[in-house]
Amino acid sequence: MRFHLSRFTLATGFALAEHGRNRFAMVLVILFVPLWTTLAYLAMPDTPAALQLHATGERLTPRGNELTEISGALNAITLITGFMMFSATFSGNRFDRRLAMAGYPRVHLVLAKVTALGLISAVVAAYATAVTCLAWSPRQPLLLAAALFSAGLTYGALGVGFGSVLRREVEGMFAIVMTSVIDLALQNPISSSGADSPVMRFLPSYGAMQASTAAGFSTSAVPRHLAIEFAWFAAAALVALLGFCRRTRSTLPAGPQSPGPGPDSPAAALPAPRRAAAPTATADTETP
Amino acid sequence: MAGLVGMSGMDVEGVHHAYGRRVVLRGVDLRLRPGSLCGIVGENGAGKSTLLRILSGELRPARGVVRHGGRFGYCPQHVVLNDALTVRQHLRFFQRAYRLADLRYAEEIMDMLGFTGYAGEQAGVLSGGTRQKLNVTLALMHDPQVLLLDEPYQGFDWDTYQRFWDLAARLRDAGRSVLVVSHLAYDTGRLDKLWRLDGGLLGRDGAVAA
Repeated sequence: MRFHLSRFTLATGFALAEHGRNRFAMVLVILFVPLWTTLAYLAMPDTPAALQLHATGERLTPRGNELTEISGALNAITLITGFMMFSATFSGNRFDRRLAMAGYPRVHLVLAKVTALGLISAVVAAYATAVTCLAWSPRQPLLLAAALFSAGLTYGALGVGFGSVLRREVEGMFAIVMTSVIDLALQNPISSSGADSPVMRFLPSYGAMQASTAAGFSTSAVPRHLAIEFAWFAAAALVALLGFCRRTRSTLPAGPQSPGPGPDSPAAALPAPRRAAAPTATADTETP
Repeated sequence: MAGLVGMSGMDVEGVHHAYGRRVVLRGVDLRLRPGSLCGIVGENGAGKSTLLRILSGELRPARGVVRHGGRFGYCPQHVVLNDALTVRQHLRFFQRAYRLADLRYAEEIMDMLGFTGYAGEQAGVLSGGTRQKLNVTLALMHDPQVLLLDEPYQGFDWDTYQRFWDLAARLRDAGRSVLVVSHLAYDTGRLDKLWRLDGGLLGRDGAVAA
């Protein structure tokens, strides 16, 4: 157990340290979330916009600027988590492969990345919810945070997938931005006349958009739509996991990690020059 | 064949590979014995990178077999580090990967390559030579019995270059199998055996006596 915990903890700590040193992402989190959501709230008209909420079947007439603010918060969190995970995956592909081929358990690396994504999504979702609550009062703030969190998870997993298959950084950034823009713009009744189309149900943030709209303007619980968003996350994460396993596999018949010397090996030392006739000492190893 | 996998060393038998219709490797055979320091040279485009990817387990050959006996270490040509992590964090990561009880052996290698003073530095701010030293250390720190080094001394200053060869010779003398791959046949006198990759086949280079 200690073997697994130590590897998971170390990989998680380093994954978070890596994200923390992504200064551009930190700036995005701190500035982009309030900027985008506040601008959406202030710049859009507060004229009521009629919409049919699929999640509850209710006919709602929220203010246009509040509805757009929710859409902006979703857009912000999806771009940030998508970008952060894409960036980490894109730059760390070969390092992950080297680590895995050296013997680092892949499941621990994957769990560490998922944990880091979960923490990042939770922090950004809480931040975006707090910023929203400063401007107006959503009916269910906790549900709003949960919806933003689930959208962040989904796009983070999509970012990992893009980071695994795309060859250039600009391609990944474009893919994330365009996915988020198309996904959210089509669902916004202010900007899209097709927001009630059944096709919307197959978009990546459909569940989160429904849940966050319910959180803003309804008192009904929408567990099914939150579950839809988490299912999107699970599917995207599964694809990313398969890509990770494929990328980090070894083709050697026996694998590169043949059993090492036991813990009773002599003290570690570089072999001395031949004429010194020193013993061939090896590095100590630990047992799982 | 007798095979070396029960002890250490590396056996390569009949490795073929092609990218589409372009054949790169036409049947490479290689035996790396324990306690040997060998080299492979070849011109640009000769197929060295493909062969190395196959030997290291990154690429499955179209045909043929690669067998490693014992712990394996691979130092890729292009430095593979995480720029956001420090040198010390890299060592801790690979300590866990290799299941090492401590980092004394890695620290000795760092000392020999002359970069112990950079332990707290982020990899992203290191000079090219120091990054390469860390790249080599990560491949060596578990005392591999079979060591594959792809252009391992690029970016090294002369002093470090000399110490690298001293280290390689000491590993060979301790019974390790060391294979150095390069596009230039420098210092062939330090090698026990040198192969030349040409036309997709590996042949003995006349410059080095067996």
